[in-house]
Amino acid sequence: MSTVPVTTPVETDIEPPVSLWRDAWHRLRRNRLAVFGLIVVIILASTAAFGPYLTPHDFLSQDLGARNLAPSMSHLFGTDDLGRDVFSRVVYGTRTAFLVAVVVTFIAVLIGVTLGAMAGFFGGLLDRIVMWLTDMTMSIPNLLLVVVINASLKSPIASWMESRYLATLNPIYRETVWVDFLLVFGSMALISWPPYARLVRAQVLSIRSRPYITAAQALGLTNRIILMRYVVPNALGPLIVAVSAGLGTAMVLESAFSFLGVGVNPPTPSWGNMISDGLRVWQHYPHLLAAPAAILGLASVAFSFLGDGLNDALNPRGAK
Amino acid sequence: MMMANGMRPHPVTNTGERLLDVKGLTIEIDTRRGPATVVDGIDLHVDHGETLGIVGESGCGKSLTMLSLMRLLPNKIKVTKGEANFAGRDLQKMSNADLRKVRGGEVGFIFQDPMTSLNPVMRIGQQLAEPLIYHRGMTKAQARKRAGELLRLVGIPGPEERLDAYPHELSGGMRQRVMIAIGLACNPQLLIADEPTTALDVTIQAQIVDLVKELRDKLGMSVVWITHDLALIAGLVDRINVLYAGTVVEDAPVDALFANPSHPYTQGLLASIPKLTDERSARLSSIGGTPPEPGRRPKGCPFAPRCPLVEQICHDRVPSLKGIGQAGAHRVACFVAQRKLEAASWAPNR
Ligand SMILES: Nc1ncnc2c1ncn2[C@@H]1O[C@H](COP(=O)(O)OP(=O)(O)OP(=O)(O)O)[C@@H](O)[C@H]1O
Ligand code: SF4
Ligand SMILES: [Mg+2]
Repeated sequence: MSTVPVTTPVETDIEPPVSLWRDAWHRLRRNRLAVFGLIVVIILASTAAFGPYLTPHDFLSQDLGARNLAPSMSHLFGTDDLGRDVFSRVVYGTRTAFLVAVVVTFIAVLIGVTLGAMAGFFGGLLDRIVMWLTDMTMSIPNLLLVVVINASLKSPIASWMESRYLATLNPIYRETVWVDFLLVFGSMALISWPPYARLVRAQVLSIRSRPYITAAQALGLTNRIILMRYVVPNALGPLIVAVSAGLGTAMVLESAFSFLGVGVNPPTPSWGNMISDGLRVWQHYPHLLAAPAAILGLASVAFSFLGDGLNDALNPRGAK
Repeated sequence: MMMANGMRPHPVTNTGERLLDVKGLTIEIDTRRGPATVVDGIDLHVDHGETLGIVGESGCGKSLTMLSLMRLLPNKIKVTKGEANFAGRDLQKMSNADLRKVRGGEVGFIFQDPMTSLNPVMRIGQQLAEPLIYHRGMTKAQARKRAGELLRLVGIPGPEERLDAYPHELSGGMRQRVMIAIGLACNPQLLIADEPTTALDVTIQAQIVDLVKELRDKLGMSVVWITHDLALIAGLVDRINVLYAGTVVEDAPVDALFANPSHPYTQGLLASIPKLTDERSARLSSIGGTPPEPGRRPKGCPFAPRCPLVEQICHDRVPSLKGIGQAGAHRVACFVAQRKLEAASWAPNR
């Protein structure tokens, strides 16, 4: 049997193969919209993380002598009908939006990727069950499902908590904010996973039968290497786009629910309940609507630009 | 051209044993109507240093046969009978770990479609390096250096710069060369090329054939070259197997096949080679009808429904490959052809 003599290792200044990620980063940087999206997302994320500690006013403190003020130096976005600083509330609302978006998207992606990958990989009965579940979930109108979940679960849980509190006097049962979040997270994740499941299933199915997978097997590469370097990178682009867009969508969805009164409840600020409040008085105090609406729009646009940019960047064929 | 560093012809190990020996290989597809035979007890062999051409119509099972050797068949397609020995080892029975060493390390594959057989999100340098790192234990830097040499070997201009290109940045011909380079990366003993030129235009087809010929002579490997196009490979191969509906119907040294095509199907193939102009639609025009669908094979000779010489016996029995030339080097699976040659050899003045 022949062997290829290994050439003596020579000092070369040949650069090692640049990774997919480094390449993607170079391509992303050349895409203006994506860079814009990335910057906005970073600003919003840091606002969500640190903003509430830096705001000049407390988002809850009311100043009934300073109601519905127009934007000024001391109140950048003015004040609302209870004299609360709108800027501080928008900043805190950013935290709410990110918290909801990240947790909901995380749960939805987890469910979706698991079910989708299993369906695509194993096929057969499992595939049919998963697809049936997906179709079922998608056929139910989002708002209806959330309203039903909230309406049917909220009051029993609230009364159960109340009775626990009376029985134990443990203040933890008084913290209804968390119940709120739990219900919002749960119901939103429950309606958000199907697109991820479909996407991942389709990706796995199509990549599994691509000739380059057979070619990689014919090279004797192990399944692990094939999965990590051939299947995953090819499946990743669309998933990252979906996740990025999904974060934006989740924010919009959360706002929609809060707007309808089934989301995060006052006094916790959320862009949605601020929009809802602002809408009632927008003819007189447009800043109360404009501030949260603009920031919601900005966030949603930024996430979708970033998603598209990432898709192009991760797909070498998309390079200009 | 200088021989690339480290590339050496294989020593001719003549142990009398064949490099590749396939016996009675049967492949079935699971269809809704039950299993359908696509490859029916095929016999093939390749000797050390030999180049075998495999010709046959689209769908006759050429690709499946080759994929099955490396156990690369898609899900619903299975080998149900037969064996395939490579250098004396049974490929169907060997462990997955051993098989992975054969794949890429000892048997190189060049696939039919250069447009889809390369990983679109991996630089070609890395795709070339992958088997070198895996099979030869090279470091990344060594593998990259060798990858550059391989690209030069297959005639890609500016090979070092090309290492960082993605497949989509190369033309079809260049990609096919990259595929050949990948197939050759570990200096395999056997190179299986599955219609590596169908996607390319005529001049490039000829270049690729010449390239493989040159590399084969330089590296001393055996080659199996699959094609629809007899004329293209006439100058490359030593021996040709003509496939029809998943069986070998004629096996002959290339000169003997062109001089004395004996199976009616081979005769049809040769008659349909267009003169000078390569008009694909003209191919096989002189043979009417279509090959049997998998699962609907005739009981007797699979070619009987289309055969101009068909007789009663053809419908009743399956002809097997029998030697007709001296030393049995030329074999054909056709009752009529076998009888003719027997008659000729009995003729008093012969
Ligand atoms: N994945 C598959 N699923 C079902 N049937 C298949 C599959 N792949 C091939 N076949 C069938 O098996 C038969 C042989 O296919 P194969 O790919 O081996 O043909 P081929 O001789 O390589 O043809 P071509 O010259 O077109 O490449 C064909 O009839 C084809 O329809
Ligand atoms: S065996 Fe009969 S049907 Fe088959 S090729 Fe020969 S003559 Fe034709
Ligand atoms: Mg084929």
